[in-house]
Amino acid sequence: MSNFSKYYKQSATYKIFSGIFETCEDFLDTLGKITENGIEFFRCLLKHQINKKDLIEQCNRFGVTSLPITLSIVGMTSIIVASQVALEMVKQGGGNFVGMLMTILIVREVGVIMSGFALISMIGSSMASELATMRVTEQIDAIKVLKVNPICYLFVPRVLSGFIMMPFVTIIASTVGVLAGAVTAKLSADLSFRAFFDSMWLGIYMKDLWVSILKAFVFGGVIALISCSCGYYATGGAKGVGLATTKAVVWSFVAIVILDMIFAIAFFF
Amino acid sequence: MSIEVKNLIKSFGDKTVINDVSFKVNNGETLAIVGFSGSGKSTVLKLICGLINPDSGEIITSEGDIAMVFQYSALFDSLNIADNIAFALHERRDLRNKYTEDEIKKIVTEKLALVGLKGIEQMYPSELSGGMQKRVSFARAIVTEPNTILYDEPTAGLDPISSTLIEDYIVRLKYETQAASIVVTHQMSTIRRTADRVIMLYDGKIVFEGTPDDMLRQDNDYTKQFVTASLEGPMKMMA
Repeated sequence: MSNFSKYYKQSATYKIFSGIFETCEDFLDTLGKITENGIEFFRCLLKHQINKKDLIEQCNRFGVTSLPITLSIVGMTSIIVASQVALEMVKQGGGNFVGMLMTILIVREVGVIMSGFALISMIGSSMASELATMRVTEQIDAIKVLKVNPICYLFVPRVLSGFIMMPFVTIIASTVGVLAGAVTAKLSADLSFRAFFDSMWLGIYMKDLWVSILKAFVFGGVIALISCSCGYYATGGAKGVGLATTKAVVWSFVAIVILDMIFAIAFFF
Repeated sequence: MSIEVKNLIKSFGDKTVINDVSFKVNNGETLAIVGFSGSGKSTVLKLICGLINPDSGEIITSEGDIAMVFQYSALFDSLNIADNIAFALHERRDLRNKYTEDEIKKIVTEKLALVGLKGIEQMYPSELSGGMQKRVSFARAIVTEPNTILYDEPTAGLDPISSTLIEDYIVRLKYETQAASIVVTHQMSTIRRTADRVIMLYDGKIVFEGTPDDMLRQDNDYTKQFVTASLEGPMKMMA
């Protein structure tokens, strides 16, 4: 029986299924921990355990220091799209709809999702590595021994700053994106600003703006929550910090794409 | 009695790290826990301060706080020294509104003076030497007036003179605070200078309990091997 067990464990079938099982187990474990931390975050909020100084510092980090990169990414994405579609649309006689197309694209999707990607790579990764370093250097253990709730102390200012600042970042980024689209359409297809901005309002409604802000609000909080959670449960030394950061980035990317799909189905399907 | 551990058992996976360990530490007494690396010494401290839960057994403590001095200090590197020491006073729910900022400043200065430091309140941990960081972590530990202080290898990585200084502060804090202290260490000088009693762990079990003098007398095969740093004896190092 022991020989059978030994050979069975060396078989490809065992390795494939145990690999799948471990992946599923890790996925469910991470999802459970993120959910648990999310619930604890709201409990801390209800208890008014908010350190205002930390909150302002995190808002500055999330919304201000990230702005140059976020605006660059959204602006450049807008330039790429406008330079590809503006000339073709003008050629096909659809020049009067370039502004509408660009605005719908940027307000509904590009502005919020590209801002999300920029914030994941810049702020989410730094939050994850910061908490992971605190974990592996026993600073989180020290917080617990001093009888301070680490979720209230570490998560609340970071996650709250995500909820608060992401809508502002998205509004500014979307505005820059639309302006970049207008300039690109002018330069690539000689489309006048007036034609661009006149058509801008044809396909955009207040609902689009509200949904975009709601999405930004949710994405900001989710990015910060996932990043903090992945960092918080880091194990090992430098390697553990690296793994936690990678995990935070991957999970955040996948989460906001899934959430974006849910929003698209819920509001525009 | 300040702390009593009864029949403590803790396993990680298949490996039983702590196996039926029991001991008592009274107020104003220092117990040293010694043993090879991986014998479960630090695990005992983590169980006592609640960082991990035991599989079975009991930990009975008197009312009051348990403080811990970590092996690598574990100071918050984004906070200055004053904020590190005052962390619990600023952030703990029951202490948050208990003191004014002026009172907190005074407490920080007092605690720093107790560990022989002054004028470093605005510095950051990275600007201090290892020995100074360790002393700041002492000051942070005693800020809430704990009745139990746990030291995880307090002299590890320090030069002999800094080690002596740290050992003196462990003794001084014991007299100043009358707290029960548990010191996890490998170093004979720390055992001799700080401990009232010693227990030795091997394979998760207590294999010796006595005074530092009993330990140095080498009547026990385990302590004999430990004190003489011999490879021959009942304790086998994992390759």
